Amino acid sequence: MSRDDDSLVVCEQCGLPHRWLPMASREIARCVRCDAVIGRGHRLSIMAVLALTTTAAAAWLVLVSAPLMSISLRGGTESATLPQSILAAWQGGQEVVAVLSAITALVAPAAFIALRLYVLAPLAAGRRPPGFAMCVRMLHQAGRWNMIEVFTVGVLLSLVRLSGLADTAPGPGLYALGAVTLLFAAIESAGLKHLWWQSS
Amino acid sequence: MSASREPALLGCESCGLVSANVVPEGDTSGWIQRCSLCGHALRARKPFAVQRTWACVAGAAVLYVPANVLPVLVTTNALQHGEHTLLGGIHELWVDGSWGLAIIVFIASIAVPVLKIGVLGLLAWTVRYAPAWRRLERARLYRLIEAVGHWSMLDVYVVLLLAATVRFGPLASAEAGPGLLWFAAVVVLTLLATWSFDPRLIWRDAEAPTNLQPAAT
Repeated sequence: MSRDDDSLVVCEQCGLPHRWLPMASREIARCVRCDAVIGRGHRLSIMAVLALTTTAAAAWLVLVSAPLMSISLRGGTESATLPQSILAAWQGGQEVVAVLSAITALVAPAAFIALRLYVLAPLAAGRRPPGFAMCVRMLHQAGRWNMIEVFTVGVLLSLVRLSGLADTAPGPGLYALGAVTLLFAAIESAGLKHLWWQSS
Repeated sequence: MSASREPALLGCESCGLVSANVVPEGDTSGWIQRCSLCGHALRARKPFAVQRTWACVAGAAVLYVPANVLPVLVTTNALQHGEHTLLGGIHELWVDGSWGLAIIVFIASIAVPVLKIGVLGLLAWTVRYAPAWRRLERARLYRLIEAVGHWSMLDVYVVLLLAATVRFGPLASAEAGPGLLWFAAVVVLTLLATWSFDPRLIWRDAEAPTNLQPAAT
C-alpha cells in the first residue's frame, strides 16, 4: 500500500487534519496551526536504512565489548566497557542508577537495532514479518528511551574531567560509540510510520 | 460552550492513517477505537493527561531538593576525602577554568530539569485556567522540553563512568553519592511527565484555520 495523493494526515501535536501531499526529498511539511513538523520527504530507501542499521549493529558489537576509555595512575591502569560500567554501579550499591543506565544506554539502543533488522530485512524483500505491528510500536518506545547520544557526551566529559587527575586515553569503544550515535541519527531521520506504507 | 468539541478525525500514532472519530452513543466505558491499518488504539486525548503530568511534576519538584543537597559524587585520594554536589561540581569546573564544560554541565543538570518542571507546571495549569493564552508559544515550549529532555541524564552517566574507572584504592577512587539516586528519579519523573502531557490539550476549542494545505518549506 502506498499513500494516496488525496489522503489526510493529522498533526500529532495539535490534532488538526491536513491534506497529504507527496513531498520531494528534504522537504518538510509543517502544521498550519501549531507549526509542528507533520511530514518529511524521505531521502532514504528501505535498503539504505537496512544498510545503515547493519552497520550500526556491527559498531554496536565493538561498543559493548571494547573499553570506552582507560586511565593510568602511578603504574596502575583501569579501563571500562559500557556493560562493565553499569555492572560497577550495580555492585557499588547504586542499583536504580544501574538499571536506568542499562535501559537508556544498553537495552533501548539494542532494541532499536535488533527490531529494525527484524522488520527491515523482510520489508526489503517485499513482505511483513510476523508481529510487525507490535515491533513498530516497540520501536517507538525504544526511540523514546534511547539516550546513546547523551552517553557519548558523558564519556567525552569524563575523559576531560579525568585528564587533570591522571593519564587518560580514549578506547576503541569510544570510536564505536561515536559511529553508533551518528548512524542512529541517520536511521531515526527515516521515521517509523512510513514502514506501514512500504509493502502490500 | 459547555463540553469541548470532539475532533472529527483521528490520526494513528503508530502508522499515521487517519480515521473518522467514532463516538458511540450511551455507555462508552470499555470502548476503544482501533486503527484499521495497524490495530493501534486511537484516542482523541491521552487518558488522565493533566492529572498524570501534575503527579510526575510534583514528585520531580520534591525529589529535586535531595538531588541537589546530597552529594552525587564521593572522591577519595591520598590527601583528602571529597563530597561533590551537582552545583559544587559545576563550581569546581568553573574555578578550574573549564568554563565551557561548566556551562554544558549546568545546562544539562540544572537548567534542563528546572525548565521541564516549570514548563510542564505552566502547561498543565494553563490547560485549565487560561486555555486560550498564547497557544502557539505554549506548543513551542512543549516541543522544546520534549527535544532537550534526554540531556539531563548527562551527569548520571559521568558519575557512572568515573566510578567505574577511578578505582585505585586509597590512591584515588570515586563513587556515586546518595544524591545520584534522587537525581536519576527526577530525570525519570520529568520524562514521564513530558510523555503524559497531551499537547492537543493546548488547542482544545481553538478555531481551526481555513487553509489546510500544509506549509511546505
